[in-house]
Amino acid sequence: MVSLLRNQKVRNALLQVLYVGALAALVLAGVVIARRNLAEQGITSGFDFLYKSTGWDVNFSLLPATANDPYWWFFLIGIINTLFLGTVGLMLATLVGTIVGLARTSSNELARLLGRTYVDIFRNIPLILQVFFWYAVITHLPTPRAAHEAWGMMLTSRGLYVPIPNVGAIAFAAAILAVIAAIALPVWLGRTSRLSQPFGERLGIQLAAAATALATAAVILALGRLPDLPLLDFPALQGLNLKGGLRIPPEFSALAIAIAIYGGSYIAEIVRGGFKSVGKGQMEAALSLGLSPWRVFTLVRLPLALRAMLPILANQYVWLMKATTMGIAVGFTDFFMIVALTINHSGQTLETIGILMAGFLAINLSLAAIFNRINKAIALKGNQLRA
Amino acid sequence: MNPGKASGPAVRIENLDKHYGTFHALRKVNLSVGRGERIVVCGPSGSGKSTVIRCINRLEQHDGGRITVLGTELNDDVANIDGIRREVGMVFQHFNLFPHMTVLENCMIAPMIVRKLPRTEAETTARRYLEKVRIPEQAMKFPGQLSGGQQQRVAIARALCMQPQIMLFDEPTSALDPEMISEVLDVMVTLASDGMTMICVTHEMGFARRVADRVVFMDGGEIVEEAPPEEFFTSCRNDRTRQFLSQILGH
Repeated sequence: MVSLLRNQKVRNALLQVLYVGALAALVLAGVVIARRNLAEQGITSGFDFLYKSTGWDVNFSLLPATANDPYWWFFLIGIINTLFLGTVGLMLATLVGTIVGLARTSSNELARLLGRTYVDIFRNIPLILQVFFWYAVITHLPTPRAAHEAWGMMLTSRGLYVPIPNVGAIAFAAAILAVIAAIALPVWLGRTSRLSQPFGERLGIQLAAAATALATAAVILALGRLPDLPLLDFPALQGLNLKGGLRIPPEFSALAIAIAIYGGSYIAEIVRGGFKSVGKGQMEAALSLGLSPWRVFTLVRLPLALRAMLPILANQYVWLMKATTMGIAVGFTDFFMIVALTINHSGQTLETIGILMAGFLAINLSLAAIFNRINKAIALKGNQLRA
Repeated sequence: MNPGKASGPAVRIENLDKHYGTFHALRKVNLSVGRGERIVVCGPSGSGKSTVIRCINRLEQHDGGRITVLGTELNDDVANIDGIRREVGMVFQHFNLFPHMTVLENCMIAPMIVRKLPRTEAETTARRYLEKVRIPEQAMKFPGQLSGGQQQRVAIARALCMQPQIMLFDEPTSALDPEMISEVLDVMVTLASDGMTMICVTHEMGFARRVADRVVFMDGGEIVEEAPPEEFFTSCRNDRTRQFLSQILGH
């Protein structure tokens, strides 16, 4: 018996059993206590409330929403709002981060100084203060009567109004997917080894694929067009307010700008680190072969730097995605705010928090999974010698 | 600009000066390398030997004197620099292969982009030179999957694919395990017997004895001694040369 306990494998198995048992007991205890407390307060648990109508409205939605819609529809709106804010925020942050990061690695002293100042300032101010700052700036823009106008867009204290096509929601989404395909397909065709054509001789196929996808998008838009309306819906002043177009509320803009600027300062450091990690030797070798500095950058420096950046970048993206929950501070109806409102109105705290956590887990795990796949696909093969 | 058509020496270095901050790396270096000539440059570490050959293809910028490569003066003119780099291949101590490309792609990229060769032709050339360095079977592998000796031979093939007129070697065997040195030196000997103009910074004195037309000894940023190998190894005049040789040949 004693000797059995000294066996390493037996010990490990025993520890595993104890660990799983303790975890199960903890979860069970939590459920039992929650049920008893809920029963005492007279709250029925369960997900039936999802099918009841909310009775309240959201201030921003890409999908049609009224107070008669059920809770599950509002959760969907919340998730889509969060994804929309996250996508716009991450893309802008990446753009800002790339520019500032490149400035920080540049040989130009002034660019380096500007980059450093940017990072030092915006990385060290809490995100929530930056959100409030941009919100204050935007809500102090001129009224709709004195709106700034450019390319059919109108910038006012009530938000940014942009023209939208008069097209059904589903057709519009399908058209966007087709446009994305028009960009992604040629890239994929240029890299895949499933085609018999050699690399570099695929321009025809790539152009054909892009043209087909764009034509599909045009057909979808034409078919999904709402009858008796002009193709584009421009915002216009009507009384004291603007009508028409899509209103991007100040809450959204403030959050997107704050995430872009704050996130950009972190991404700038990741970009800088990525470029610094590329060995000088590889670049010298490329130069010595007669490649131009631009080719050295696109063929050697950038691809190698990207490989160093991606894992850290994925981390940062997941972090910024979670930062979209700042929306509640300025009243943007993101997923978190919808959940908070639901708790206030329905009292189904545990269920809604569960949905919130599951939603964010799903978003961020998908993001991580995508990045892991990219990482694996482009990982350098074999052992790397650092010189 | 068309380097290579003019006659005269392959490389002419006159009164070359180079500073790193306050450190005087090269002091009035003079060296002329004829076409088809094989030069071995040796000397203690910090003597400026790598700096000299890195100046020849402008990986380092000289701040005094003149460098003429294949009749073209190396100055701030970008067209001259590009033209010279096209005709001058370089092999580095740490191979410096592109780790994200296969061996074949490493060899094809520059001919396709710089020489504008069509892909099929670039691939034929690349496979021919991989054959020459005796690793045709590794073409589809990535550099990280090869041994040091194999990587260095790929690096030589990559430089040769540009069909340069001059090859620079910067301590090509210094980062290799002892058993891999000879496979790289063998390739270099073959190259020398094909009549390539070569400037090699190396401490492989056996190689110097076998293929060099001239051995150049550098110390403190100066060329101290310059002689054919048999004369260099048997009757060198300078104390510093003698001391250096006794240190590296002593065992």
